[in-house]
Amino acid sequence: MIVKTLYVTNKLGVHARPAGMIVDITGQTKSDVTIIHDGQKANAKSILNVMMLAIPPGSEVQFEIDGQDEEDVMMQLERLFHDNFHEESY
Amino acid sequence: MITSTKNHTKKRQRIVLVGIPASPGYAMGHCHTISNREVTVVEETLPNDRLAQEEQLFLKAVNNTIKELAQIKQITVNRLGIDEGRIFDAHLMILKDPTLVNGILDQIKKENKNAQWAVHTQITQLISTFESHKSALMRDRAMDLKDLYHRLMGALDDSGPVIIGDEIGNGVILVAHELNPSTLISLKKNQVIAFATDSGGRTSHVSILARSMEIPAVSGLRNVSAMIQPEDNIIVDGTGGMIIINPNEEDIRKFEEKLEVFKRQQRELFTMRQLEPMTRDGKYITLHANIELTSEADKVLDYGASGIGLYRSEFLFFRKGLPSFEEQLEAYQYVLNALAPNSVTIRTLDAGGDKLVADISISNEANPFMGWRSIRVCLDQEDLFKEQLKALLSANTQGNLRILLPMISSMQELRRSKAHIETCRRELEAQGIFSPKVELGIMIEVPAAVMLVDKLAKEVDFFSIGTNDLIQFTLAVDRTNELISSMFQPHHPAVLNLIHKTVMAAHREGIPVAVCGEMSSDPMSTLLLVGLGVDELSMTPWSIMECKKIIRSINYEDVRETAQNVLKMDDTESVNAYLKKKYSQTITDLGISSFISAQDLDDGDSNSSLISSLNEN
Repeated sequence: MIVKTLYVTNKLGVHARPAGMIVDITGQTKSDVTIIHDGQKANAKSILNVMMLAIPPGSEVQFEIDGQDEEDVMMQLERLFHDNFHEESY
Repeated sequence: MITSTKNHTKKRQRIVLVGIPASPGYAMGHCHTISNREVTVVEETLPNDRLAQEEQLFLKAVNNTIKELAQIKQITVNRLGIDEGRIFDAHLMILKDPTLVNGILDQIKKENKNAQWAVHTQITQLISTFESHKSALMRDRAMDLKDLYHRLMGALDDSGPVIIGDEIGNGVILVAHELNPSTLISLKKNQVIAFATDSGGRTSHVSILARSMEIPAVSGLRNVSAMIQPEDNIIVDGTGGMIIINPNEEDIRKFEEKLEVFKRQQRELFTMRQLEPMTRDGKYITLHANIELTSEADKVLDYGASGIGLYRSEFLFFRKGLPSFEEQLEAYQYVLNALAPNSVTIRTLDAGGDKLVADISISNEANPFMGWRSIRVCLDQEDLFKEQLKALLSANTQGNLRILLPMISSMQELRRSKAHIETCRRELEAQGIFSPKVELGIMIEVPAAVMLVDKLAKEVDFFSIGTNDLIQFTLAVDRTNELISSMFQPHHPAVLNLIHKTVMAAHREGIPVAVCGEMSSDPMSTLLLVGLGVDELSMTPWSIMECKKIIRSINYEDVRETAQNVLKMDDTESVNAYLKKKYSQTITDLGISSFISAQDLDDGDSNSSLISSLNEN
């Protein structure tokens, strides 16, 4: 299992569209993916769970990934966060 | 058709409610109230041997709902364009959400509940969580969940989703607490003539869809759905944002007047559509439309345009996240097919300046209008540019595409762009994709291009003058700076001489000149541009009819002489005074009236800034 902290640097935080983009990635893998924000854990394959964390801009989130392609999934998530979900930066 | 008010045994109270003008137009008729189906949900505890069956019932309902949504999405895309179709993507993703699906399945399998009860409890719980959320963005998603709730319940019920059926008859006014986009899309033509809702704002999806469907609508009426009784007569004034329940005679008289004016404008539009934009002495001027969204392509011909003179492709890039090759192809194809065989001019990505694209533009330039923008960005980001060019070439199956390169300021930029187009064509041909010849044009908007215009004319198939930038760069006036905004003068002799020079050079090489800036929809400027020899005018669709009126009322020889006189003048004031003296009576006599009311000008859509600046002129 790998754990990594990522930073939310887009202007609006993780609202519906970014949540959808996260799930686009996590939904493709057989690995378990958990997203942790503010002490709350959620299944990162569920758009509703991710949305309900209501992660504001400027915050940190942790991803726990467990499975064969964990490295690859983490890399994709990192790229997504790094690109500000293709939105304006914070 | 106006329905007369019938005298009911009990006289009902007249009520006036003011809301948000969601979609312009007027309608009067009887209302049909839809309650978002208060489904009576029964909680059942099932024996173990029924659970597998119940599970199947639920999964089938999910599958049917997914199919139904995909279908509605397709209808939306066909009718209103791909941008509006995206509304349904969130719905589809939520339906496939494991938390939601497994939560419901658990309740069926572990707690022995019936599917209807499980769906009800799980989703209503989610709805209340979202509705009470502190973020407005999240609260808006509750609407999606409600739509899904009703659809799933309908699918389980076997009585179908919440779709308006034939039973309501034709020509009714739909009144509801809120209307889901999918309900609205499922309506048949002529079934509903207007709608009024308690909630929803001007920029909500429903308002946008209503405007696209040309149904008058008023939203934000707070509790209209509770106040209305079946068979009440109501007037919906979508232009003013008002409804009158049980109107009196005076109300009806005023309504009929307003409706008459509105209809007359529409009739006029329709008859003008058939007439050629030709001067009295027979000079034909091509009138084209400027568009920003693919969905606008459907209406362009109705407004009397003979093609699209400027499709601003950057609007595909404004939605955050670069569009893929496929998305671009789909959008270009949609517009090209909608207009074929009429020509469609698509301008390549014109990002930067005041049009920042999230993924590309840098926002901290000291001088963005003279910065890294437009063709400069494209030539630096070759992959991006080539992807767009390939999408354009592949979309041109009907051969009606014209490609327009923005902000060309040197021959080198043009030659490099042409080389890219050639490379893209060869690469596509290697993949077996052959496209018909494409006409290539450049924007004339930088004074440097005018100085080189003789040479540029030999290398392209047409010119398109972008008046905003040309004026801004020629006069060194930032139009957004209020201190000098009066110096932004379209009729400045320097500007007029540059346009003249461009037209002369183009005609020597036998290529046409278009003007696609806002200047082309100002009546005085129209006269002047025609007189200067401009062949095509491209403008917002609703200005086309007025422009046609002007063109049909003038003699080309007369405006040509006017233009020659104006070119000799040395200051803007003289030009304007001369034009006013010569033509203001003609323009007044034409009774030019806009189709767009003041309310529409305030609309929160992408055209608002354009329209308000038009009015300033």
